[in-house]
Amino acid sequence: MASRLIYPLYQMGNPQLRIFRPPFFLTLVRPGKEQPPDVVQFRIPMVMTKFDVRNYVEKIYNVPVGAVRTRIQYGTNKKRNHLNQKVKRPDYKVAYVQLAQQQTFEFPDIFPKKDVKSAEGSVEEMQEKFMEDEEQRQKPDPRRGGVTEWFGL
Amino acid sequence: MAATSAGRVLTLCRQFQNACRISTTLSAQQSTVTLTKGRSYPHRLPSTLLSSSWSCNLDLAVQCRPLHTTISRRGLEEFFDIPENWGEATVKSGAPWTAKQLRTKSNEDLHKLWYVLLKEKNMLLTIEQESKRQGQQMPSPERLKKIDRSIRRLDTVVKERENALRLLQTGQERARPGDWRKDVFGRIYWYRFREHALPWYMNRRYKRKRFYTPAFVAPHLRLRLEKYLRAKTRKQKKESENQAVLKEKFPQMQAKSQ
Repeated sequence: MASRLIYPLYQMGNPQLRIFRPPFFLTLVRPGKEQPPDVVQFRIPMVMTKFDVRNYVEKIYNVPVGAVRTRIQYGTNKKRNHLNQKVKRPDYKVAYVQLAQQQTFEFPDIFPKKDVKSAEGSVEEMQEKFMEDEEQRQKPDPRRGGVTEWFGL
Repeated sequence: MAATSAGRVLTLCRQFQNACRISTTLSAQQSTVTLTKGRSYPHRLPSTLLSSSWSCNLDLAVQCRPLHTTISRRGLEEFFDIPENWGEATVKSGAPWTAKQLRTKSNEDLHKLWYVLLKEKNMLLTIEQESKRQGQQMPSPERLKKIDRSIRRLDTVVKERENALRLLQTGQERARPGDWRKDVFGRIYWYRFREHALPWYMNRRYKRKRFYTPAFVAPHLRLRLEKYLRAKTRKQKKESENQAVLKEKFPQMQAKSQ
């Protein structure tokens, strides 16, 4: 199965619907509002349900799931572009997944500040050196004790 | 031979050290069978784009059948890149899968690869969203395009195989039945059937959808046809005039450019 799925009709007694190769992609997001420590926030496609999310996370990621709550976030249609046409931000579904077995999850910092040492003799190194020199030149005279040059003497 | 292949498997997956130690203590034939199976797997499959030790768990786990190995316990960490890549400006990644390469793989391999690609895409989407949130640049955004292409090509290959199988077994050309029907505007299109719980004559919504052209639409059909023919003639005339002008300018021109 892939995109443009059409599910077979379900009538009582039919076998359980199974989707091989699910075309659904989850995005783990940092919560905007403070969430309990065992809650993980996802952006999921609109067609997924709580049961789908539970099965997805349990089967594909082997993470024990306690409870799943979903809501649909409306994307604004108010903004206008340079042609004064309304621009719609897409709607998306948010799932709050509570982990079972007292597991906790904290959203990590994916962009830590790394001290990048540029290669010797490269353009970046020369640029950085130049910027440092410029900053040094622009600094006021430390002997003046923070008083600007505007006040003569 | 067993030692070298064991060594290769070890270098591939750090987590499998215990498992491989167990495997070498098994009977000689058993160990060679499992290890050659694990080794005959090209490096392609374990890695989505570039061989990374953590992603080959799935494949080697199922390949070495007599072995019992623990599945990856990384859980939610799989939504993020490996910690070494956090904060980098670029992350190296290989080329996407081509349809030609995928056609050589078995159905089980493709099934597993689908999930590998799915998890990789989830990871990239997570990083993308977080980068937007933090106002930082996402490292190597071209990975998303590569993954999309790989997924699409995998889907194409699987569909081809399903089509071939269905043609051979049943002779049906399409998976989903349909029919040529006329809509209200007189246009003929391929209507694809849907499953319903009731027959069509009891389905009120279906009956409101008219698959015939009312009588008052007939004059408009002719007008539409005339408009279409006029536009077609205009286009052809313009094309021939253009060709004549070019011929005058460049008398030795032969090929007609599309």
